[in-house]
Amino acid sequence: MEQVFSLILVGFTSVGAYVLGTRVLGLPARDIRKAVGKMLECFGISLVFFVVNLSAGVIGILVARATIRGFVSLYMAADVTVLFLSVLQGLTFVWWRDLSAL
Amino acid sequence: MNHPSMEAPQGSNRVDWARISRLLGLAGVALFLTAAFTPLPNILIRWLGTPARLESAEAIVVLGAGVEPDGVLGDTSMRRALDGMVLHRKGLAPLLLLSGPGRGEGPAEAEVREELARALGISPEVILTESKAQTTREEAVKSGALLREKGVRRILLVTGSHHMARAQRLFERAGFEVLAAPTDEVSSEASSPEGRLRLMRRTLQELLARFYYRAAGYL
Repeated sequence: MEQVFSLILVGFTSVGAYVLGTRVLGLPARDIRKAVGKMLECFGISLVFFVVNLSAGVIGILVARATIRGFVSLYMAADVTVLFLSVLQGLTFVWWRDLSAL
Repeated sequence: MNHPSMEAPQGSNRVDWARISRLLGLAGVALFLTAAFTPLPNILIRWLGTPARLESAEAIVVLGAGVEPDGVLGDTSMRRALDGMVLHRKGLAPLLLLSGPGRGEGPAEAEVREELARALGISPEVILTESKAQTTREEAVKSGALLREKGVRRILLVTGSHHMARAQRLFERAGFEVLAAPTDEVSSEASSPEGRLRLMRRTLQELLARFYYRAAGYL
């Protein structure tokens, strides 16, 4: 149960959101596929930002190690906040691109 | 709505970035679900691990794992230190080398561990500390020099199970016979999604570290 609790929880609230969207807000059900596609696009761009951030972080730290006297840990580049911030970057980038196309 | 410049016009060879992003996103979601909800991370962390070889040695070497600037040992550091002390108490080696630098102006991890060892009744005469090394490679070099001064050639190495293979190789290259005394820093049996994601993160970190050490010629 512990392993799948979050999946079940998110499954239930997703069904709730679907019902709310279609019956209360009047959103067309057929557009859900496009929405999933957009979500995947945002996530994909976020992953690109994450890899770029990680690579830039590692390179920056290696350069810093070679040029300054103090020690800089490579683990800094792998901080979990980098992943969250990359998601924000990805979302912002995709929305920026879409809004610019309007 | 997709930006016109990001979509591939029909019949052209332009890159469809939106489609590539979606495929990347799909791959990312699949990877996330696999890591969080299947036993793959458990299998990978066990695969990275090194089996214990607990035999008599001339010194026990406990590698650093981090201390806060106020001198609070991290969980991993505490686990390794206690494992090293238990091995010493069992009589597996007469010397106990505690490693670990400090952060900022705070006390060194090795000093905090030494205090703990003393408080737990281990004689100060058998404790060695090394607080300058910042990386596993530096630990092998600096601790190695300290151990050679004492005539030590055979060591019991205490570090995380997934970190052991890399550390063991470095100490072997420094001229020691290394017996692995891996610490279970994370349970390889973790079954919650969060626990599995943590295992996956450690696995990926260690794989990247091994790749970097190999590329740099340290291993």
